[in-house]
Amino acid sequence: MSKEARPSWDSPMQFVLACVSYAVGLGNVWRFPYLCQMHGGGGFLIPYLLMLVLEGIPLFCMELAIGQKMRLGSIGAWTAISPYLGGLGIASVVTSMYLCLYYNVINAWSFWYLFHSFQSVLPWAECPINTNRTGYLEECEVASPTQYFFYRETLNISSSIDENGGIHMGQALCLLLAWIIVYLFIVRGVKSTGMVVYFTATFPYVVLIIYLIRGVTLHGAWNGVKYMFTPKLEQLANPQTWINAATQIFFSLGLGFGSLIAFASYNHHNNNFERQAVAVSLINSGTSVFASVVTFAIYGFKATFNYESCLERMRLLMLNTFDLSEETISAENVTEWIHHLNVTYPEKFASIASKIEDCSLQAELDTAVEGTGLAFIVYSEAIKNMPLSQLWSVLYFVMLLLLGMGSMLGNVTAIITPLGDIKFLSRTLSNETINVWFVTVVLLWSLAGLVCLLCLLLGFGFTSRSGNYWFTIFNEYAATLSLLFIVFIEVKDIEDMLGHRPNWYWKVMWAAISPLLLFSLFIFYIINYIQGGTPTYQAWDKNLGKSVVQEYPVYGQAFIALLLASSLSCVPLAALYAACRKKQRGTSLRQHAVNTVTSTV
Amino acid sequence: MLAGALLLIFLSPLVAQDLCKDSKDGFKVRLSIKTALGNDAYEWNESEMFLFRSTVAYAMRKQTKQDTYDITNILVCNDTQRVSFVFVVTSPDDPANMIPKAEVEKAVRLNKHRINSAFLLSDMTLEFVGIPPTLEAPITYETQPWLIVFGVVIGAVAIGIVALLMSTASKKRRAKENAAGLSEEDEGIVKENGTALSGLGGREGVFNQAFSNDDRFTQL
Repeated sequence: MSKEARPSWDSPMQFVLACVSYAVGLGNVWRFPYLCQMHGGGGFLIPYLLMLVLEGIPLFCMELAIGQKMRLGSIGAWTAISPYLGGLGIASVVTSMYLCLYYNVINAWSFWYLFHSFQSVLPWAECPINTNRTGYLEECEVASPTQYFFYRETLNISSSIDENGGIHMGQALCLLLAWIIVYLFIVRGVKSTGMVVYFTATFPYVVLIIYLIRGVTLHGAWNGVKYMFTPKLEQLANPQTWINAATQIFFSLGLGFGSLIAFASYNHHNNNFERQAVAVSLINSGTSVFASVVTFAIYGFKATFNYESCLERMRLLMLNTFDLSEETISAENVTEWIHHLNVTYPEKFASIASKIEDCSLQAELDTAVEGTGLAFIVYSEAIKNMPLSQLWSVLYFVMLLLLGMGSMLGNVTAIITPLGDIKFLSRTLSNETINVWFVTVVLLWSLAGLVCLLCLLLGFGFTSRSGNYWFTIFNEYAATLSLLFIVFIEVKDIEDMLGHRPNWYWKVMWAAISPLLLFSLFIFYIINYIQGGTPTYQAWDKNLGKSVVQEYPVYGQAFIALLLASSLSCVPLAALYAACRKKQRGTSLRQHAVNTVTSTV
Repeated sequence: MLAGALLLIFLSPLVAQDLCKDSKDGFKVRLSIKTALGNDAYEWNESEMFLFRSTVAYAMRKQTKQDTYDITNILVCNDTQRVSFVFVVTSPDDPANMIPKAEVEKAVRLNKHRINSAFLLSDMTLEFVGIPPTLEAPITYETQPWLIVFGVVIGAVAIGIVALLMSTASKKRRAKENAAGLSEEDEGIVKENGTALSGLGGREGVFNQAFSNDDRFTQL
């Protein structure tokens, strides 16, 4: 009988909330609305929900099954299934490590924005004034105050990846804080994580509901929501739509990192994970749709605000150039007047032709943004125009923090659980009577502390002036391809282990459809990488006040290749190593067996 | 003589107009009353123009510290429906001479807020074309507010760490005591199948209901 009881969740609810907290992350807020916008609004829900059923729920359930049955983290679980598959666990841990490194930087940014919300005037609301107080700083004039605050004051970004600079002290402090908090959350293992997830899983929904109410009552929000729900079904014919739906489901659920395996390994053996898998997947997708309604309400508000500002600017331009009384032109008939004046006074009109802007609500709504740009630039621009903007800003960044921290919990647990298991295995084998808690506490203290410290130190690299460009490399390459590879191999090998599943749905999905989808996604990604030519990135040009496309330098491309290779190669390398060990042990086992036989005789 | 005098009287406003129209030292002024005040907007009429001229004269007086500036020194022309016009300032000593642009600009800049409030307008709605408004100095803090919030949060986190350390220290102490207690009893415990009975919670063993004398269920 094993003396060491593996720590477990206080209740199945904690486990479900932990999974929800992990799966519902920043991607639900900043990637899904973008995809919705790009691929035909409400129509995108069709491929999305289809992929959820074909790919999301089966794979999610598979990972939970592995963790719960094996009761070990990813390395231990896969090694137990087959020694050749230990590399899968290692690949998961490596990928999680990369993710932890750069993901917490986003939390650092959220902290930075949160702390800066406690001012009478939000710092991204207005441009800073230049030294002789005649106007605003040039870089801010050319861009916008929110962009200036993000690129200059938050990141202090250099103009390309080649130019390094010092570390941004404010960012470094915020990153330190973020890592200390993550450490505190996981230091007691499941006990502390289980407490925390009650908050990190539920509070974001509170904020989303508040924002939904605020959002739909904003002027012009209805334009955005209408835009989202008007389906453009012709987008369904575009294969890119289906590919994006599949990848979004895949990455949104956080498959392949080993976090789900780690969480499930702390379950009781008779926990009903199938129902929980369906529930969490549905909650995750539901949150995406909910968040995109809020986002589109905000988009609508921002677009209407910009459109009306544009009309006002044009109205003033017409009034000032042609010296007409203020009552003649109103916001409604600006466009007619422009046309009329163009016809009546062509020469005078030609002199101001360069200043004429084409004001279009549709064009404003069509500007689709995703990722950090959406979260930190577009949203903060909308917030600064709301009444009581400080309150909304605090609420919003607290929500971002909770979403990010919740996902970080899963990521760090995915590293610590398998590494902790290795030591556990060795300890049980050595058969010592040491009190369990003592071992666990010391182990978790030192392991958790080490992991957090290491990630913090490496993460400081992302707070340098070119840090955002390295961040982008990690964001785009560190986890994408390797995850598809990992999960594909996982699902191919699961049938051997769980072939007794009676439910036809799981059998069909696991055996055929999900692997097929994953394989095609994997091939698609590889083709994309090959066809895409030299990888490029967006560099901030401070003179133009916008991002320009630049190619990665040679060492950048080498680094990308290294990132991809380091996680992908774990699988074949570990299999090779296991094969060698088996051969060695095979000979020594035979030797041992001979000895035992002879000794008992 | 009379004709000459009459000519002068009629000519001077015309001359004044010419001075204003031809000059390069004039500033164009633009008022957006309806935008600023909406329903409370007042009519732009001669009296308002009178007020404007007097405020500019006031500004010139303050700037040059000469009390001789009068409303007649402020000439206005090119009045349009927009409520925009051009004005020039003539020297009080010599009405044919105009004050250079730089002087007028300085005077207006220094007193813009007084001129604005006379008309219930702002820098955006009362524009002097060519005179950019002096922007308010940015608020400077001794300690950045974000550092204060950061300090509060990291203080709370530090308290959390200290609490954690203390609870772990007490747990370790308890664990050490337990381990010390158990190791004394190790010799006296029977080992069955290689495992110690230490997991069974004490020397008394576990009460097994199957062997109890409770007659609850066996009534014949």
